[in-house]
Amino acid sequence: MSLIDSVMAGLALVGNWEAFLSLAIGVVIGVVGGAIPGISATMAVALALPFTFPMQPINGILLLLGVYKGGIFGGSIPAILIKTPGTPASSATILDGHPMAERGEAGRALGMALWASCTADFVSNLALIFFAGFLASFALSFGPPEFFALILFSLTIIAGVSGESLLRGALSALLGLLLATIGLDLVYGTNRFTFGDPNLMGGLNFIAVLIGLFAIPEVINMVWHPTGHMGKVQKLGSKWVTFAEYKRCFRSIIRGSFIGVFLGSIPGIGAAPAAFLSYSEARRKSPNKANFGKGEIEGVAASEAGNNGVAGATLIPLLALGVPGDVITAIIIGAFMVHGLQPGPMMFVLNVDIIYGLFIGLILSSGILFVVGGLAIRGFRPVADIPKRILMPMVLVLCIYGVFAVNNNIFDVGVMFVMGWVGFVMSRYHIPAAPFLIAFILGPLLEDNFRQSMLMSGGSPDILLRGPITWFFWTLTVIAIVAITRGTMRAAQSEG
Amino acid sequence: MQVQLGIGAIIGALFLILYAIPYWVSSPSNVRNIVLSPLFWPYILGGLTALIGLALVLTGRQRLGGGDPVNEPIDDPRQGMMRLAAMAVLMMATFWVMPWLGMVWTSMLAFVALAFLVKTRHPATAFICAIVVPLVLYAFFAHVASVAIPQGELVRLP
Repeated sequence: MSLIDSVMAGLALVGNWEAFLSLAIGVVIGVVGGAIPGISATMAVALALPFTFPMQPINGILLLLGVYKGGIFGGSIPAILIKTPGTPASSATILDGHPMAERGEAGRALGMALWASCTADFVSNLALIFFAGFLASFALSFGPPEFFALILFSLTIIAGVSGESLLRGALSALLGLLLATIGLDLVYGTNRFTFGDPNLMGGLNFIAVLIGLFAIPEVINMVWHPTGHMGKVQKLGSKWVTFAEYKRCFRSIIRGSFIGVFLGSIPGIGAAPAAFLSYSEARRKSPNKANFGKGEIEGVAASEAGNNGVAGATLIPLLALGVPGDVITAIIIGAFMVHGLQPGPMMFVLNVDIIYGLFIGLILSSGILFVVGGLAIRGFRPVADIPKRILMPMVLVLCIYGVFAVNNNIFDVGVMFVMGWVGFVMSRYHIPAAPFLIAFILGPLLEDNFRQSMLMSGGSPDILLRGPITWFFWTLTVIAIVAITRGTMRAAQSEG
Repeated sequence: MQVQLGIGAIIGALFLILYAIPYWVSSPSNVRNIVLSPLFWPYILGGLTALIGLALVLTGRQRLGGGDPVNEPIDDPRQGMMRLAAMAVLMMATFWVMPWLGMVWTSMLAFVALAFLVKTRHPATAFICAIVVPLVLYAFFAHVASVAIPQGELVRLP
């Protein structure tokens, strides 16, 4: 199929009102979800997932991508107005956004956040379109040993950079891998930790695990500390961002977008490090570096460009390799699976219309985000005023319905509750949940590719180092472990 | 905290290796190569968990007295624990009662109970939402998504 044919096939899928509306509704849900502290983009995507079951696959996935993109921007609204990041990625936005809000320039800060977000989102989408196909065609030559090395590398990065320490991240990933072993064995069909219960023979339901890990702990946290969310909302003020200011910050925005694209395309790094790196680079290069941290609009632009630059790029490993780049794309992979699609290089061969439909939808999403974001900035006050102690019971009920709807099975609701407590305990012990979930998803793939490799070689481990691609990923894995360990040791020494 | 975590990981790993895997993972007797056995992967993961636990204990001991991340304190930890216990009971009750009472009615009760547990300042709104939200979700999932929402044995909805 030629490029034109592929684009036309994609257009045929998304060139209708349903697709456009799904995307727009997704962006609205994302912006509102991201704007409510405690909901976060991750939880918004997880909660929206069950509502996509009755939809066409492309519309359902577009809705979730809209939630993702809206959620990342939405997180900046409470970061600026109430000094509480709606998503972890918005933490860097607080540094200059909130001082601006305290000066009565919240509208200006939010306006710049929106412009920077949309620009970075657009750049990120273009990067996805240009690189995903290239990477997928390269990945078509991967066999089980190459996939094993790639997944191991992804898990190492995810475990190393997701939390406060490599060890806690590794423990989290191991727990996820262990949980993924529940069910019938992939090769022999024998029982593994099923206790004779037929509900466990197919393994734990992925959506029950993810909603349990990312939504229920917020509910339990609210029970533990019912008044922990209180904050003072700043006024928008009369000043608004001007095009001259946007032009002045443009270099930082583009630099931040590329930082976001680069870090986002590496599985596991996510938006928060991109936002902080973009912010620190902007501060280093800016003529106004003395104003950073005191309410410099370029700081807001850089951090928002960094975190939104990630949003399209995290889809590169997801679509091209079938490896989720962060937690949200891990949830989105669930949507693909629910609709009978398997992201990865073969999707560029078998479902090229969906791939191009997604590309077209993503380009549209930047424009929709600009419109919806502008409205959300003005309408934040009612969102901020939604009583969180009403919202959390709603989240609980939504979770119950959503998880049940996957398999029509009450057992899954029980799994979700148990995973909620696991997630809560993990958060109390500062064990990051992201490696757990991603390892849970990638666990069967990792084991399957390992065992296929062993079958191919008759049990010889030499096959795991059979060519330049496997060597490349093994080298990256070793470099990542050394770099993360050195970073952790340096941080410990500077604390001591 | 890190030492506790490490000890927990070691105990968990030992439990896996010495009891859980031998008793709860079955393997055919004719597996020729150990790396292809269904037991191999869980044993590797168990071993790695023990190693990580050990590393957590060792690094945690070096960092005693500082460097451990701190949780946000709350004013009433005792009451907080009571609320957590109540939440656990609420979840268990929701799970066990649902097949008998139906998802809609159970959700309504769970909503009210949770709103009460988090000490809502808007009881009237909570009550209205407790009725409306489960009904709207029922309408969507049962009539749009064609999901067979459990109706229970008492009152059935259209």
